Amino acid sequence: MSEPVIEAVDVVKVLGSGAGEVQALKGVSVALGAGELALLMGPSGSGKTTLLSILGCMLTPNGGTVRVRGHDTAGQEPEELADLRRRHIGFVFQSYHLFPTLNATDNVRLVLDVRGEYGRHAVKRAQDALAMVGLAHKLKSYPSQLSGGEQQRVAIARAIVGDAPAILADEPTAALDSENGHAIMTILSDIARDKSRGVLVVTHDPRLVPFANRIVRIEDGRIVGEERGPAKRKMKADA
Amino acid sequence: MSLVRKLAFRNLFHDRLRLVATVIGIVFSIVLVTVQMGLYLGFGHMVATMIDNADADLWIMPKGTKCFEDPSLLDERKRFRAKSIDGVADATPIVIGFADWRTPSGTSTPVFVVGSNLKTGLRPWNLVEGQIAALSIPSAVAVDQSYFDRLGVKGIGSTAEIRQQKVRIAAVTSGIRSFTTTPYVFTTTERARQYAGIPEGKATYFLVHLSKGADANATRQRLLANLDDIEVLTPTEFRNRSQSFWLFDTGAGMALFAGAVLGIIVGTVIVAQTLYSSTKDHLEEFATLRAIGSSAKYIYEVIIWQALISAVIGFCLAALIGGMIVKLTEGGALPIMMTPLLTLGLFVLTVTMCVASAIAAIVKVMRVDPAIVFSR
Repeated sequence: MSEPVIEAVDVVKVLGSGAGEVQALKGVSVALGAGELALLMGPSGSGKTTLLSILGCMLTPNGGTVRVRGHDTAGQEPEELADLRRRHIGFVFQSYHLFPTLNATDNVRLVLDVRGEYGRHAVKRAQDALAMVGLAHKLKSYPSQLSGGEQQRVAIARAIVGDAPAILADEPTAALDSENGHAIMTILSDIARDKSRGVLVVTHDPRLVPFANRIVRIEDGRIVGEERGPAKRKMKADA
Repeated sequence: MSLVRKLAFRNLFHDRLRLVATVIGIVFSIVLVTVQMGLYLGFGHMVATMIDNADADLWIMPKGTKCFEDPSLLDERKRFRAKSIDGVADATPIVIGFADWRTPSGTSTPVFVVGSNLKTGLRPWNLVEGQIAALSIPSAVAVDQSYFDRLGVKGIGSTAEIRQQKVRIAAVTSGIRSFTTTPYVFTTTERARQYAGIPEGKATYFLVHLSKGADANATRQRLLANLDDIEVLTPTEFRNRSQSFWLFDTGAGMALFAGAVLGIIVGTVIVAQTLYSSTKDHLEEFATLRAIGSSAKYIYEVIIWQALISAVIGFCLAALIGGMIVKLTEGGALPIMMTPLLTLGLFVLTVTMCVASAIAAIVKVMRVDPAIVFSR
């Protein structure tokens, strides 16, 4: 694997306190390399989302190290972590989290806007990103005018528009039918072909396995297995 | 253009009912403050209207005079001594006092008599009928047309009685209203004394005209050195003293200020409450913004822009309603005044109030955990 775009080493995370205290992650190490689509799979409550939150610099671990493009996130202030997310990480959420009052272009453009990139250039980049996910004809559509699959594509365009090297996707197909789910995974695996980007998808849906270069299995807060995915084998076979 | 303003605008207009509630809160608050401050200005203007329209460089008055309506008296001999002092070109006596006006139908009402020299001093202004010179005719008086009903008169030629002496309307003014609602009756000094029961040789004020080139302060010092038990004030000083007495010593001004403060508090609470609940409703969006890496400043800007847009809409409507109220009270007993400075002040106040109201919403957003985007 090339130099990881994001990695966690021996990460421990405790959630809650007192009687409700739960050790959600118990020394987890995982890395996402550029040019790969990795699946993080496990049952509900296994710690997938907690790990994704930590890798996405939204939660701070109680122990261990998280590096984003080589930057150790330990001791970073919330604003510094926001800056890391802004520059290095794109997110795709299960329930899309699009802004209902903004059209598709503006929803995508937000990522550039928070970086201080405005104007025609930003609009063009947003429109290009939407075209990449097959929504060139829906630039002015509002989320309420889009299907679930289209909304998720807008969310993917938002994740890639800023050229973030790491794309973290949380159950991106959970709210979609199999046809739309397949289309979304195809787009994500296309993104992962870019050698400067890695895509980590959290899921418990075995139908996504064929798209993965690598599958990391997590259970009860621990990594219990890691295997090469069919996509990797296919790529090798193609080569 | 940044999406900050668009987001703020859309957040506001997305929930129109809440926007209406916010705007009503701002409008209610600012109209209340406008009325209170307009009354304050109007009151301040009215209590000083006689001083503002008097023809004087200096006012000589009995020591301890608190306001124009103070009934203390000066001896006319002091006027002659004043006229002999270097720097004094003339000293005109002014006589004021309350009297009882009896209408032809037999009813009576109190009036405030103002007596002055007809060539200089404190003569009626804003004449709409008749001439000042006509007041020299025996029993002639000038009254304001807004008091016709109260005085039981119809205009020039109408008659009534003051202290069993017949008076005839010889001139009519417009807009000379008293904040005490007691009508002013202008006449000559001598007749004012008769009407108000003031002895011969007494006056309430002497209005000093300075000689050409005379220094007002030096002349004042000479007057104070030569005349006992008097005070000498410039028109500005007397104006301020009168306003201070009526507005603060009587508590009237504080009551108006208290009303204005209440308006500000009510407005701030309403705007804060609606902004807070709007922010709470959009919390997921703010968490998404935070998740995609927006700085805290970016989010604060969205909230503050929401407050500013609300402020501008609210202020425009409040200014419109305030303007109508000003127009409606224009000829009333106590007009509400609006000045460009007050308008500007109210705008600044609206913006400040709305931005301050955004603090609660900002505190709420500061606590938002971006990780909630994964759990929803």
